[in-house]
Amino acid sequence: MRVRAVVAGALAVVVAGLVITLSHRAPRDAGSDHIVPAMFSATLPKGGELCQANPYLPPEAATAQILVGTYGRPVPALGLRFLDPTGAVVSSGRLPAGAPEGTVSIPISRATDPGRAAKLCLTVAGHSKVVVGGLGIPLDPTAEFVNGTQQNGRISVVYYRAGEESWWSLLGVLDQRFGLGKAGFFGDWTLPACFVLLLACWALVVRLLIGAGDETPPGAGGRGGTGGRGGAGQP
Amino acid sequence: MIARARRQLGRVPRAGWLVFLVAFVNAAIWTAVIPPFQVPDETGHFAYAQYVAQTGKPPPEGPLVQFSPQEYTALANLFFFDVIGHNQERGVITPAEQSSLRASLATDPSPVGPGGMSSITNQPPLYYALAAIPYWLSPSHDILARLEFMRLLSAVLAGLTVLATFLFVREVFPSIPWAPTVGGLVVAFQPQFAFISSGVQGDSLLFFASAATFLALIRAYRHGLTRRRGVWIGLATAIGLLGKLTFVAFVPGIAVCLALIVWRSGRAGRRDAPVAPARTGPGVLTRRAAAIGAGIAAAVAAVPVAAYGALNATVWHRGGPTGGGFAGAATVAAPGQQAITLRDTLDYTWELVLPKLPFMNHAYFGYSPLRQVFFNGAIGRFGWLDYSFPARVYTLAQDAFVVLAVLALVGLWRSRRELLGVWPMAVGFAVMALGLVGAIGYIGIRYLMSTGVPFEQARYLFPLLPIYAVFVVLVSRAAPRRWAPALGAGLVILAMAHGLFAELLTISRYYG
Repeated sequence: MRVRAVVAGALAVVVAGLVITLSHRAPRDAGSDHIVPAMFSATLPKGGELCQANPYLPPEAATAQILVGTYGRPVPALGLRFLDPTGAVVSSGRLPAGAPEGTVSIPISRATDPGRAAKLCLTVAGHSKVVVGGLGIPLDPTAEFVNGTQQNGRISVVYYRAGEESWWSLLGVLDQRFGLGKAGFFGDWTLPACFVLLLACWALVVRLLIGAGDETPPGAGGRGGTGGRGGAGQP
Repeated sequence: MIARARRQLGRVPRAGWLVFLVAFVNAAIWTAVIPPFQVPDETGHFAYAQYVAQTGKPPPEGPLVQFSPQEYTALANLFFFDVIGHNQERGVITPAEQSSLRASLATDPSPVGPGGMSSITNQPPLYYALAAIPYWLSPSHDILARLEFMRLLSAVLAGLTVLATFLFVREVFPSIPWAPTVGGLVVAFQPQFAFISSGVQGDSLLFFASAATFLALIRAYRHGLTRRRGVWIGLATAIGLLGKLTFVAFVPGIAVCLALIVWRSGRAGRRDAPVAPARTGPGVLTRRAAAIGAGIAAAVAAVPVAAYGALNATVWHRGGPTGGGFAGAATVAAPGQQAITLRDTLDYTWELVLPKLPFMNHAYFGYSPLRQVFFNGAIGRFGWLDYSFPARVYTLAQDAFVVLAVLALVGLWRSRRELLGVWPMAVGFAVMALGLVGAIGYIGIRYLMSTGVPFEQARYLFPLLPIYAVFVVLVSRAAPRRWAPALGAGLVILAMAHGLFAELLTISRYYG
């Protein structure tokens, strides 16, 4: 009876904690260009423009996050455009001047055909030099161009979905992502299957705990017992 | 022999098998939660196993490329090198990236690499030979499918570790029916254990061999060191020694345990005989019979290890009997610095777990490794040590641990009569634990001096998981007798919650 009460109470606390955790709202990741901002890989002079090949623009991207350094001054206005192979704008955004240096989020318009975004261009307004976080890479077709000159680097861009979302509202997305990047037999079924298996596991544990708690030690009657085996088979 | 083994397995209580099942399923869920190669060193462990599977021998360890072209292709297209160490980075999370991954693997890069030297290749090959079985049993030759099947082997080993822990606790507390279930389950849901056991990782076999050794030793103590039990001890030791070199640290402690068992044999009926069921205990055998059992244990452990050494030196040409396994441990000085002395090593080892004393001439850590590395690491540092719980969780856990430690002392006092019967084994197990800490310190200072990077991780203490299970049972025993199972059940639910939130953290890290 005591075991049942403790188990029920503890499970109720866990469920409450779970609900609170999954209800937490925050900006959620939409993807990235898989470049780690390990260094400042590009220096843009005032009024400069950086362009680089863009392998992928997530359809649900609402903001693009980049790492910007301005030597202590406020970040000047930044413009970001995603262009298709013909040079037409697929999506664009602008960050007004005045943000503190560091990681900045540039709101971008929803792309009608994000699959066509082949290039991104970052423009810096104002009168101050700006450095952008990314990686140093060899001169290859993916390397950045600053004011038309190719350089050994590539900037990091991380995309975020619109607004703040709870994990509940992201469940469908998580379900899809969970099946990717793994063995081919994994898919959308995997996350729900894991959840069901975990529930089954927990149910079995509860049964085990209640069963074990109900067992009476042989010759129970004192601390320490006298060396029985608690009903288990003698090996 | 097989029939006897089956009879032995048939005597495992139903609860033991259910606890095994829970541990296996929990680790199997983790195998799906963790993206490929995101368990520490999984790239190297997989490469070793793939080399064994493809060539039938351990890697030659030359200054060659470490992985197969197939593994390099998979790693590049999983964005592995961008994801590890950068918790804001995700791997493959979009259909476009998935298509690109599939297209690159469809080019059929070779699964056979040159077997170049890595931090893993100097290990003995038993785990990798076992991992080669699911590698070939996988219905698909796709590298990620094979990886998943190999991960399930680790999950099975996690289940076996927990089963051995269950049986160990049952031997320590034979009169407490709920103790093995509680002890086994808290280990099963320990998130760092489940996380490591979800990857292709040689530690899985080390954990199992360690738990099996603890079990075999306590059984030999409780019921007599017969020849058969000597064989079990020898087998568990051989599996450990051929599974991971870390197990060498246990050998002095195992020897002490065997010596104590032999010494205590022939004492049936004496006042200090162990509290155990009638006609059991080391006293049921003569000292000579127990000594024969100990000799058999030593022989069963030594023969396969000697064979491995001979194969290394003569057939596989891996640079000597140990295959370079102790090359790191043989470092006598850091590059351009003075030699690492025994005193340095002892100071370092001491400071790993205790505060520096005034006469110690070097402060190796600007933090407490016991708290920051081992304790916090056991609470949870996942991936390639690149994501953790929020800081307040560790503070809360440390406070809770203080309470649990006090309760464990109360439980120890309440269990004193029962535990008095196994005190010689407690001595032997303490030597095993000291050996492990000593080995971590010995390697740690050399690693730190030669690379500048700390060596220690919480999982290096996980061969002591059966002791952790005993600790939790002692905590539960602090409660009045009728409430003890309830407190134990509460601790299991706490462990389950800990595991669940670790999985949620992992899902947010890689997919959120």
